[in-house]
Amino acid sequence: MEQKEHDVILSVRDLNVKFTLRGRTLHAIRDVSLDLYQGESLAIVGESGSGKSVFTKTFMGLTDQNGTIESGTIHYQNGMDLAKLRTEKEWQAIRGKEIAMVLQDPMTSLNPLKTIGKQIEEAVVLHQGLKGEAARKVVLETLTHVGIDDPERRYKQYPHEFSGGMRQRVVIAIAIACRPKILICDEPTTALDVTIQAQILELIKALQKQYGLTTIYITHDLGVVANVADRIAVMYAGDIVEIGTCEEVFYDPRHPYTWALLSSLPQLGIKGEPLYSIAGAPANLFNEVKGDAFAPRNPQALKIDFVERPPYFEVSPTHKARTWLLDPRAPKVEPPEHIKQLREQGVRLRGQA
Amino acid sequence: MLKYILKRLAFAVVALFIITAVIFSLMRLMPIEGYFPNFDKMTPEMIQNGLENLGLTDPLPVQLFRFYRDLFHGDLGTSWIYQPNVPVTEILARKIPVSLTLGCMAMVLSLVVGIPLGVVMSRYKGRLPDKLGTGFIVLLNAVPVVVYYLVIQMVGSRSLALPMLYSRSDPTSWILPILCLSLANIAEYAMWMRRYMVDQLNSDYVKLAMAKGVSRRDIMYHHVLRNAFVPIIQLLPTSFLNTIIGSIYVESLFSVPGMGGLLVDVIKRQDNAMVQALVLIFASVGILGLLLGDFFMTLADPRIKLGQERGGR
Repeated sequence: MEQKEHDVILSVRDLNVKFTLRGRTLHAIRDVSLDLYQGESLAIVGESGSGKSVFTKTFMGLTDQNGTIESGTIHYQNGMDLAKLRTEKEWQAIRGKEIAMVLQDPMTSLNPLKTIGKQIEEAVVLHQGLKGEAARKVVLETLTHVGIDDPERRYKQYPHEFSGGMRQRVVIAIAIACRPKILICDEPTTALDVTIQAQILELIKALQKQYGLTTIYITHDLGVVANVADRIAVMYAGDIVEIGTCEEVFYDPRHPYTWALLSSLPQLGIKGEPLYSIAGAPANLFNEVKGDAFAPRNPQALKIDFVERPPYFEVSPTHKARTWLLDPRAPKVEPPEHIKQLREQGVRLRGQA
Repeated sequence: MLKYILKRLAFAVVALFIITAVIFSLMRLMPIEGYFPNFDKMTPEMIQNGLENLGLTDPLPVQLFRFYRDLFHGDLGTSWIYQPNVPVTEILARKIPVSLTLGCMAMVLSLVVGIPLGVVMSRYKGRLPDKLGTGFIVLLNAVPVVVYYLVIQMVGSRSLALPMLYSRSDPTSWILPILCLSLANIAEYAMWMRRYMVDQLNSDYVKLAMAKGVSRRDIMYHHVLRNAFVPIIQLLPTSFLNTIIGSIYVESLFSVPGMGGLLVDVIKRQDNAMVQALVLIFASVGILGLLLGDFFMTLADPRIKLGQERGGR
């Protein structure tokens, strides 16, 4: 495990992404740095518009046309700087082959006029260099791997003959058929039934082990995170505000935004009392963000939060957060009551272990 | 599938019966003055004789029965006023091939030019080819057809030295009329094709295809094109019908002896046999076009199944 931690497969440094919208500039990703370790599964959480998807799309060159990487580097294991890739040819070496993606909505992410067999085969032909009967055989194998029975018959069927969960299995099969090293799952269960969600997550987990994948989950469902992630990165307003192992972030959160996010979990609410919700609206990224982006919504914000952007403070070698609260000079601000309870729970859990 | 087509054909026959019966009855409601060009100078006896010759004095059901009986023998009657005493089938056999040849060629030309034009426009959306194409489409839709028909005739016959008038034996004289007939359709196909392509290019399956490493070119040709073409098929039945109806403007401008404006002409002259025959033929072609359109639709899109109460989804 220790050994693994240091094998960095993807290293992002000071990434800035800007979008031009009707003459105005939107600063979607602000100085984000991240190390992705070989074989881990990282969950990126955050509310809508926090930049989770935009961030991971830069790894595949799928940023929308009006967006550009302003500065920063994305170093991939093989020495390539993905932030420098421009032409489609260059990207072709990465897309699918090194990094593959599972999209949110399986109802629309398959071509309705092509048999699912052909759609998986396309990936096999592109990335495994197989053709004809050999490619077909791999497709049938892949279908079995993702838990689709009767692959011979299913191969010839069209997407409309599949249920939502089954389609998501096909989408996963396509991703797996590329033989990627990194699998990005962009809200893979959001569009699915609750009963199917767990199955799909189990499937991705199993395939991760089988193929030695590194996975990135993008989600706003903390339940999903708790289930699958080794590490959690919390994003707010185009920035990673806190990152740590699953345990650290859940049981010992340090950033006020993480507190707020966890407080809004219905599971932590007290029966009869209104659910907690974060006041205010997400930061407007059309404007220059000054200080801590979360400060305007944080009732306990310090003065400096409005003036200067906090750096990362290390809580442990694996856990850091961007908040002035961790500065030795900061006044003692108590986290909300249920966050303290979580912390106690965590201590107890660790004590048992 | 076969069962479904047979069912549709049976329905088509019923529909044709109803259409002809309606048009037959409507024509019989027209004032009798219309049958005789020199009605004012005729005596009542002459009128009565004339009507009897035309078979118009019999009760309507009898006339209708006679019409259907003759129809089954391939006899559509004789023209009365348009070309007196010439069998309708003979007139149509002369005219239909002329319009049909030009019409089919124009349809092929508009598909072959219009569809790729739309594809290219969507591929370079917002850039020069798209803007040029949009300009072309707007121009064709905004300028009245007769205006650009005249321009085409003038430029074509003067600068390019093409024959100004149609002649059956000289295929170069067909070029200008075909061009005129196809331009509006080219614009229409290009416009819709561009629109559907752009729709499809924004869909999730294109994103997934990109994420799996398929090149933009292959996405265009292997994924998007067919998806975008499915709704275009809806335009085909109308185009199909237009090939036989002919265009009154184009045909009079290039003096093409075709079908253009024929129906209106014979209705005005109250040539019952001609009207009935034309309506029957146009209706048949129209129904056939719809049937073909539905048929192509099932070929193109596996989600559309003919002859089932409920489609998949």
